[in-house]
Amino acid sequence: MNRLPASIREDFARARRLEWQTLFWMSTVVAAMFFTMGGSQAMRSALIEDVLSLVPAVTFLIAARFEPQDPTEKYPFGFVRVNSLAFLVAAVALTAVGGFLMYESAMTLIMAEHPTVAPVEVFGHTVWLGWLMIAALGWSVAVPMWLGRIKLPVAERLRDKVLHTDALMQKADWQTGLAGIVGILGIYFGYWWADSAAALFIAFSILRDGLSNMGIAAAELLDGAPRELDSSDISAEAQRLQARLEELWPQGEVRLRESGRYIVGTIEGVHPPADLPKLDELMGDDPAWRLARLSFSPPEALRREDVG
Amino acid sequence: MGIKGNPFLHPAGTIASAAILIAALAACAELPRDPDGTTERIRRTHEIVLGDIAGAPRSPEAERVLDRVAARLGARVTRTEGHGEELLNRLEKGKVDLVYGHFAEASPWAGKVHFGGPLGRRTDVGKEEHVPRFAFRNGENGWIALVEGEAR
Repeated sequence: MNRLPASIREDFARARRLEWQTLFWMSTVVAAMFFTMGGSQAMRSALIEDVLSLVPAVTFLIAARFEPQDPTEKYPFGFVRVNSLAFLVAAVALTAVGGFLMYESAMTLIMAEHPTVAPVEVFGHTVWLGWLMIAALGWSVAVPMWLGRIKLPVAERLRDKVLHTDALMQKADWQTGLAGIVGILGIYFGYWWADSAAALFIAFSILRDGLSNMGIAAAELLDGAPRELDSSDISAEAQRLQARLEELWPQGEVRLRESGRYIVGTIEGVHPPADLPKLDELMGDDPAWRLARLSFSPPEALRREDVG
Repeated sequence: MGIKGNPFLHPAGTIASAAILIAALAACAELPRDPDGTTERIRRTHEIVLGDIAGAPRSPEAERVLDRVAARLGARVTRTEGHGEELLNRLEKGKVDLVYGHFAEASPWAGKVHFGGPLGRRTDVGKEEHVPRFAFRNGENGWIALVEGEAR
């Protein structure tokens, strides 16, 4: 059974198709980079970044299989938070790889290792490998630039953090490609350090992605207030909902948290009213599907004040 | 057709002049450039210092490549004999310009120095097979391109 709200099913299916396309096109980028990598540290970092950029796409596709499934006896609240878990794992991996690559390129720079880019033979012609590297890097700029652009609006409509991060990482990917091209041109003009400097810059961008994703994942796992997709600020939708609920039940304490792409609300210290409003009406002009559950906790509810 | 106004503001003209500029730069500056200036130094001193690994049989192909490179740079070849490791060490430090010997692609030295392609007609050489090659100091990309270009 498909437990997704009808209004986002179409976008959800589109997002899945886009992620499959991402896997395919990014694989062509990874292959092109792998075959031209040679002795360039910047190419190595850029290749690893391109491989890592497959992680959010895979994460999304795995989570998308689980999310619409029915709750089970062992998971009575369903699987809407599968992607939060996968997202945290991906963020930790990203941070670790970013840190490792930074160490590696810094060492290459400190040890003053000179990158060798030799001529190679292609179909009987001798070509400087650097030109092939630049061609591969050019492909690694074009593909993610295009994919990121079409994914971003879908991610925003779906309030999907994994998809949004994926689109953002694609942006980092093409910036990485440009940094790599600068590094190779640096080698061409005899500046050996340009390559490891570009590699260092790329590693830093991987590390930064990882750390910000860890922050986003942690907010949800700690039952934080719903966040904006692109920052750690509380989302404007949630703030508007909070204001509306506080107006309706001024005597209660309104608490909102994020669960996957949905908002879950509790109003503490209030008896459930006899004429319950519809969930859809509570969201005002914002997409109604976002509010998945609203519960009332009467003043006499059993609850430890010292825990929360 | 006719180009109106300043031709240098025309986008196609700008691209064309940028391409001509880069091509001109590439033509006079010998690119890719060596970070340690091996090619420029050889042009100045007219001397190529070749490390000849003791006991490695000379290959006629290697001699031909050396002659051609020397003629192109207006230099002569000074040979210095030595053991493999000693010469590769000196190559790494920039004391010799290139080393001739029989090396395998999977040599433990690969990475510390750059091994050129196999010299001679055979191109299907196994990774573990010791064949005549030149070894270069890492990163001297213009020098590597010049010698390897003459070897093809």
